[in-house]
Amino acid sequence: MSEPEIVPDIMRISWGPQHPMSGQTRILLDLDGEKVHRIIADLGFTHRGIEKILENRTFLQGIVPIERMVMADTPNIGICYIKAIEEAMGVEVPERANWIRSLVCEMARINSHLYAFGLQAESTGYFPAVFLWTTVDRAWILQLFAELTGARWSLNFFLPGGVYKDLPEGFENKVIEGVHYLRRRFQKYWDAMVENYTFEMRCDDVAILKPEDAIRLGATGPVLRGSRVAIDVRKDEPYAAYRDLDFEVITEDACDSMARTKVRFREIVQSLNMMEQIAKEIPDGPVRTRVPFFARPKAGEYLSRVETARGELGVHLFTDGGMNPYRVKINSPTLRNMYVFERLAELDEILMADIPVVINSIDPWYLDSDR
Amino acid sequence: MNPVLSVWNLIATYVFLPTDLIIQWVSDFFNTTMDILLHLPQYAMEFLTVNAKPILQITILPGLAWVIVYAIIAVWFERKFLARAMLRVGPYYCGGKAGWLQLIADFMKLFFKEIIIPRDVNWLFFLAMPVLLPSVPALAVILIPFDTHWVLWDVGGIGLPIFFAIAGIAPLIPIFTGWASKNKYTFIGAWRVAYMYISAEIPMVICGAAVAIMTGSFNLVEIVKAQQNMWFFVPQFIGFVVFFLGVFIQSERTPFDIPGAETEIVLGWRTEYSGVLYGFVMFTEYVMLQAWALLFLTLYMGGYNGPVLFGAATASHIFWMVLKFVTLVTLVILCRCVFPRLRMDQMLKLGWYYLTPLAILNLIVTLALKLMGVF
Repeated sequence: MSEPEIVPDIMRISWGPQHPMSGQTRILLDLDGEKVHRIIADLGFTHRGIEKILENRTFLQGIVPIERMVMADTPNIGICYIKAIEEAMGVEVPERANWIRSLVCEMARINSHLYAFGLQAESTGYFPAVFLWTTVDRAWILQLFAELTGARWSLNFFLPGGVYKDLPEGFENKVIEGVHYLRRRFQKYWDAMVENYTFEMRCDDVAILKPEDAIRLGATGPVLRGSRVAIDVRKDEPYAAYRDLDFEVITEDACDSMARTKVRFREIVQSLNMMEQIAKEIPDGPVRTRVPFFARPKAGEYLSRVETARGELGVHLFTDGGMNPYRVKINSPTLRNMYVFERLAELDEILMADIPVVINSIDPWYLDSDR
Repeated sequence: MNPVLSVWNLIATYVFLPTDLIIQWVSDFFNTTMDILLHLPQYAMEFLTVNAKPILQITILPGLAWVIVYAIIAVWFERKFLARAMLRVGPYYCGGKAGWLQLIADFMKLFFKEIIIPRDVNWLFFLAMPVLLPSVPALAVILIPFDTHWVLWDVGGIGLPIFFAIAGIAPLIPIFTGWASKNKYTFIGAWRVAYMYISAEIPMVICGAAVAIMTGSFNLVEIVKAQQNMWFFVPQFIGFVVFFLGVFIQSERTPFDIPGAETEIVLGWRTEYSGVLYGFVMFTEYVMLQAWALLFLTLYMGGYNGPVLFGAATASHIFWMVLKFVTLVTLVILCRCVFPRLRMDQMLKLGWYYLTPLAILNLIVTLALKLMGVF
């Protein structure tokens, strides 16, 4: 990347990649005193060529690398690619498999949102107490993942045509137990940390993103819904079992960093409700339609989109009748939100001290944006 | 006269006489040394009995051992205590039980680490300032009375102004270090220090003035004596609150750890330090907290006042002072995992819009009550 020109009387500071809070990216800040004049996000530090890797794998093998895009949220990424493959192969997914998919996706969403909230709290200067508390609560979800799939993070549980295994004995009861436990914990988080006076001071009215700007700049996920725009792929274009599940699209009116944090928090509650519903009402039946390992779908273009924890993920799959995809184009939510982040300094006055708060309210996962 | 004899006399004069003198000097020296050596215990006892108190004070209580041991224990305690709040265990293995040797191990690690001096820094300031850093608040600590007669540096009637004068030097050093490190993060951190200390120090000085007016003396011992019946946090409640927040600000503790805000500006003005210099810088934080916390206790929490235990007045006074100090430090440490950090503009607003007017209000109320003769 060529260095943009520096305006006189402006100090340029390189925020990352060697910075405690930056993650695997570099953000150039033009500072006028404490005020941020301009933000330039320099992405690409963790480019792994996932799109190219997918071209050299069969459709089934490709699920493993693509799930590595967001480690906190693997099933939500995987289901997007699998949906495209299923469309290409014309496979029908059994009803029970769809419900299990929704269950796993919602669990991953809670995991990811809790992680995001821990980082958000830390960025405002909470000594990592909150981060560790959320880590302890996340362990409960990871434990269930381990019981269901054998892995805690990278699950690879979904396959074209269904899921790998049926739910183990008594799994539904464990889910309901955990939902009750987490509901109690969330009340505690909400009272002690989200509505903490100092936390509100740090997050309220910081980096306001108006609804029209959010739509114009292409924001997605909690960033968009935090700006009062009720768009959610799960509602608009239901996949898996979301057509049968009761949930509402969460929006907040404040349009600031606090709103984006609160959207995530209230979505966790929605996810818990959905998990409870799935555990109680899951239909019986087979969980998998067999798909040949070396399947050759017809040549064509297939588009699939899902709502991950960070927003809308799109996979554009091109097939040429071979065993491998001809081309896979991934439209990742973090990249879209980072464009919004770059423009925030123009839309609202941001101070140097707000940068970690704002960037964690966007909830970036740089491996996702770099692919 | 026989010329040969006279030559002999000459030689004898110049050769043998000095020999005699030398022998005399040597024997004198030997005698004196033996005298000192033989009577050493006696002389030492005499020296110690005459200077016992200053020696104890310099080496142990408000002096070297207290400052260093306090810092080591405070760091260990902070790590253990905060770990509990975070559902962790904290230091565990080092030393066998509760990781009590962890801090010594950390200190050894820091001590033997390479000191990295970045290119183009002002190396004189860069190296000298960390050594100066802890000595300034430590100098302020020796003004604090631990008992009526247990004051290391008894300056009499100007104790409070001298304390503020010494503590007023302290923020200059971070500013110099931030400038000398030649880094943008240290530079921002240095100016944050400047803004923050000024906005806190002015209300604190005004609060100190109100206490002095109430007592009628700047002498810290007199101030403590005046609190025998009632601690000043009751009549000076506004000043108490303002000064309590001031202690947090001056020692850069959590709601106000803005100059070293890790998530924003790495470590602020400390960013470039490594090895033993970093050790000095971290040590300073705790000494700074100690200096202001002790002054806070002296002004508002009755200083060393407390019931006399077992008839030993001095010992029990010191005990009460240390107990109050430990309680206060625990409270300050606890705040670290309870509060997020304020922003710079919010902090300045707090300092200039709230703390300063409140301190002036406190001063006016105190003056009015004094003129009416309530005190």
